[in-house]
This record gives sequence, structure tokens and C-alpha cells, in this order.
Amino acid sequence: MSEIYEQIATGILEGNVPKIPELVQKALDEGLNANDILNDGLVVGMNEVGNRFKSGAMFIPEVLKSAKAMHAGQELLRSLLAASGAAQTGKIVLGTVQGDLHDIGKNLVGMMCEGAGFEVIDLGFNIEPEKFTEAIKKHQPNIVGMSALLTTTMRAMGYTIKAIEEAGLRDKVKVMVGGAPVDAEFAERIGADGYGHNAVSGAELAKKLVGAA
Amino acid sequence: MRTNYRINSGVRFEMLSQDQLQELFDGVLHVLENIGLEVHHDEGRDILKNAGAWVDGKRVRIPQYLVKRSLEMAPRSFTIYARDGNPKHDIHIGPGRAHFGPGPTPPNFIDVETQERRPYVKDDARIVATVVDALPNIDFCESLGTISDVHPDLAASYEFAEMFPNTSKPIVAWSYGWDDSEDIHKIAVAEAGGQDAFERRPNYVHYCEPLSPLVSTFEAVDKLIFAARHRVPLIFTPCPLAGGTAPVTAAGIIIQAAAESWMGLVLAQAIQPGVPFFMGGVLSVMDMNAMILSYGAPELALMMAGATELAHFAGLPLWQTGGCTDSKVLDEQASLEGSISCFFSALTGGDLCHDVGYTESGITGSILQTVMMDEAIGYSRRITRGIEVNEDTLATDTIHNVGPNGHYLYEEHTHRYFKTEFWYPNLCDRHNFEEWEAAGKTKMRDRVIERTRDILSSHKPSAIKPATKKAIKEILEAAEARVKDKQ
Repeated sequence: MSEIYEQIATGILEGNVPKIPELVQKALDEGLNANDILNDGLVVGMNEVGNRFKSGAMFIPEVLKSAKAMHAGQELLRSLLAASGAAQTGKIVLGTVQGDLHDIGKNLVGMMCEGAGFEVIDLGFNIEPEKFTEAIKKHQPNIVGMSALLTTTMRAMGYTIKAIEEAGLRDKVKVMVGGAPVDAEFAERIGADGYGHNAVSGAELAKKLVGAA
Repeated sequence: MRTNYRINSGVRFEMLSQDQLQELFDGVLHVLENIGLEVHHDEGRDILKNAGAWVDGKRVRIPQYLVKRSLEMAPRSFTIYARDGNPKHDIHIGPGRAHFGPGPTPPNFIDVETQERRPYVKDDARIVATVVDALPNIDFCESLGTISDVHPDLAASYEFAEMFPNTSKPIVAWSYGWDDSEDIHKIAVAEAGGQDAFERRPNYVHYCEPLSPLVSTFEAVDKLIFAARHRVPLIFTPCPLAGGTAPVTAAGIIIQAAAESWMGLVLAQAIQPGVPFFMGGVLSVMDMNAMILSYGAPELALMMAGATELAHFAGLPLWQTGGCTDSKVLDEQASLEGSISCFFSALTGGDLCHDVGYTESGITGSILQTVMMDEAIGYSRRITRGIEVNEDTLATDTIHNVGPNGHYLYEEHTHRYFKTEFWYPNLCDRHNFEEWEAAGKTKMRDRVIERTRDILSSHKPSAIKPATKKAIKEILEAAEARVKDKQ
């Protein structure tokens, strides 16, 4: 086990955004394998972040900083990992549904998913069902994530899923939903594949949906 | 720099006007000078007489000038020190500083394991001290009970001997009289390194309780004389019942309680000029239906706030009361009554707020109540800390950086402040339904019990000196010898 892996994991834990690319580059220069740098360094650090968040020892601004550092490290490794044929975590299309302008929750999920290694395409807020189907055709994501804060707009999640079905795309993507009024029962009722109650569980769910966790 | 710019640090709370306070103050002087109190202690009366009081049989009247001079002599700001030198456990008494702790002497205790009410035993003093030592918002220690499983004359000696090694937070010591006061003092002095060292850094406070209405009992005066002679900071605190042993009105009970307490002030300052003195008084109503002294009544918080303002007006720190309840168990009533009196006490800045952990109207001590109130005090303290206004907290630059539709979670400003601007609960549950469900659907009381047990199984208070350990053993052996022939 190289000492550099430990430094990388610690850097992730500290949310040291400038330091992580430096350390990853140093590890590459030492001739270490991109896949090992990811799994023995970055992922080890991020897993510990998750544990500490759940136990109440870390808070969401710190977790997001770690996720940002994680993302910066992964960016450096992305082309190498692709060349080596190692599986990418996946691609996610995210958006706040039609009629709803609230997007901090959705943004948090995006940041956490990037930290978990996903490529995130954020459509923004007030996204009509057709915009989602267009994005699926264009980006071919593994997952579509939808968010709503209002009880009045959460129904738009169901309409969006229906639109995805009608466009014949439902079997091409997993659908995850979230937002304050949403719960697991609602997710099931509208035919989503999963629900996350906060950004951290959203990212975990995404990993589960693509079989990466 | 700004000119004529005023900062309110924390929340301002003010109930009585200066005119009203002056009227209360004059009322106390009137009671002391014209009505007087009975003092059931020959030496105490002699000391008072020599100081200028008018003595007529047991009745002692104190002229206004003597009361005012005594008030002048007593300090408003001073420090009670942690026995181990840990500055975080020191208590700095002074304006705007509210401190909290349990109370003394209930006969019963709620067993931490079974949650059953039973007589208070020696080991409970260890339990209370250990938990107090660990709780972030509890500042001083009292035992929450009278030990039932030792010789009755030695209950206070054993209580202090059990508490002292298990917390380095200052203890407010209760005792029956001279002998056990001496046992307690010897333990404290052994750790301090002698009487002189103790006087420079006093590590406990002595608690004396006169009787309402208007009686300074022999025991209360005897204990006061002991404390004053040894320069132990002291509390002289009656427990009047509005409508029973004191006037039914808040203003009336406040002036009577103050007069009862200030008799002790005058005596203490006559013996030891400058000895730190806390004005006392647990002021509440006698419930005219249940016939109890109510520890959960709104009038308790209200009367204590009035007493606090009067004490501060007169230049004295106050022995406040809060975090207590008439409920028999750890329930919604206990939470409601305790939390509101804690918050009110925090607002008044009453200097040492005791009885945090009293249940059943002071008949049963419960460290579980104390643990729950630790949360209420933390909550209250966040509010009383108030809002800081300056260029950095106004955050206009950060608002500019983020702009419309952005978010603040990556901002350095957020990272700088989110831990200090926000209060984080230890016991209140803020998880969403699924997480709460997955964690066992715990109720507040479950989490209180769990936290108490966690503290008891993991917390290690700092140790006393080996010499003090030896001294405690010898002091208790001598105390046993003293009472061995007494029933």
C-alpha cells in the first residue's frame, strides 16, 4: 500500500480541492495504476466521508467539499480509466420538474453524484417532460433524476415518467426521484426505480441503480 | 470605525423598570429595618449586634445603612474554580452570565437502569457527578438527593466525598451543620493545597437555607458562620411559598425572600468582608389545590426573574431556579416546564441556576431530567447569544458571489460560520421519517436514557490528587467515629 493513497484519502476527507489533483498527478508520475488510485485512494476517502456524515461527525458543506475534491481527482483519471476499459460509474440526467423553481436539493444530488464518479448533466429547473425525453435521447444516461419541492409540482414527476414511457425510453433508463414531500411510497406509485431522502442517500441510490455499490 | 454605534450582544430581557426595582429594594430595606427577622443563633445575633443591628430577644432588625454597606462589600464578579485547573470548568460570575446545575436533597431518585423511583443512595452521587461532568451545558454540580444508605448525620459528607472525585466542575455543597461542613471543607482544601490556596481559588460553594417566613434557623446561621470564616463563597436561600409562607403576590414574595437572604448577607460580610455571596430564594406558588410547592409553575420563572433583577439591581449575583418540574416521570410535562424555566433563567442571566433535574415538585431527583435539560439549556443559550452584526456577517459579498439561483454550500463564508452560527442538537431528532424509523423510532425519553447510559459507561472525569483520595478516606473514618454512638 503506497503512502500516497493514504494522502489522497486524507485529502478527500479534508475536502482539499487544490491538493487532490496534485496528489493524483504525483501518484500517476510514480507509475501507479489509475484504477488503483481511484479505488485505494479516492474511494477510500469518500467512503469514510459517507460514514462520518451518517454518524454526525461531518456536515453537508464539508461533505460537498470532499465531493468536489473527489470530482477533481476523477477528472484527471477519467481518460485513463476509459482507455484501460475500466467501467465508468455512469451518466445521470438531473432536473427539477415542470412548474417548480426549487433546485438546491437537486444541485446537492448532482454534486454528490459527481463525487461518486458519475457524469452529471444538469438540465436545471422547471423542466417539461419533453425536455427530459429529449435529454435521454441526446445523452443516453443510465439514470434520470427528478426533484420537486412542492406538493403541487410533485405530480409532474409522474407525468414525466409517463412521457418517458410514451417515448419508448423507459427501459433504457433508471428513474430516481427526490425532494422534501416525496417518499418511498410515492416513488413506487408513480413507477420510479428509487427514492433518496437526501443528497447523500441520492448518490448512494444512484450507485445502487447502476450496480456500482 | 463608527461613532455612536450601539451593539446589543445577545438578547435583551428586562421585566421591571428602575423605578419598580427601587420600590422593591426599598421594600426589602423596610422589612429588614422595621419588621426584622428571628435569628435562632446566639453567636450570630452577637455578631449582628456588633455590626450595628438592633437586637431584641431573638428578633433582629437591620438599619438601612448596614444593609447598603454589606451590599457594597459583597462582590458582583468573581470566579469559582475547577478543582483540576481546567479553565473550561471555571465559573465566572458576573453580569450577563447564566450558569446551570442540579439541586440538593430530594429523598428519592429515578434509577437510571430501571427508571423506577426509589430512595437516593450513595452511588447516585457518583452517577450525578459523572453525568454533570460530561454534559456541555451543565456548569456546576449538586447531588439531586440525600443519601439514605449511610448514617443520617453523614449524608452530606458522603455526598461530597462521592461527587468531588467524579467531577471537576465546581460543586455547590449542602450540609446539615458545622461538623459535616467541616468534612466537606477539608476535602476541598486538601485538593486546593491548603486554606490559603483555597481562598485564592475557591473550588466549591456552600449552600445554607433559612426558613420562611422571616426566620434564620440555627443550622442555617451555623453553616453560614462556618462558610464565612473559611471564606467559602456562599448561598443563603430561603424557600418561601407564595400564599403559604410568603405573600401571595410576586412583588411581596420577592421582598420577603430578599430580606431573608440579606440577613445572611449582613452576617456574612460582618464576619468576612468581601466573601462572595449569592442572594437566594426558590420562589414559587403553593398550589392551592394540590398543596405542593410548584416547581413547574409559570410563576416560578416569573418570580425568579423578578428576584434576579432585584439582586442585580442591588449588585449581587443570584441563585436562580429552573429546569425543574412537577411531573413524576420523564414526559411532555417535564420537558415543557423544565425547558421554559431554563430559557427564562437564561434570559435573566441569573447567575447560578439550580434544580435542573428536580421532578415531582422537588421530591425526586432525576439525572435523566438534567440530561434532557442540558439540551434545553444549549437551545436557550443559542438564542440568548443573539445575532452578530458586522461587515462579515452581513455577507453582502457572499450574496454577490452566489447571485440569483445559486447556492451557498460551497462558499467559504458558509464553511467559516456553519458550525458556530447554528446550534446542533444532541437529543432532538431532525432526521427524516425513514431515517428515524430505521434508527428504531426512538422518542425523546429513549434518547435521554441512552445518552445518560453512554456517558456513564464512557466518561472519565479527571482524577483528584492521590493525597486528596487519602484525605477523603481519613475524613470519612473520623466522621464515622464521631457519630458511631449516635442513633
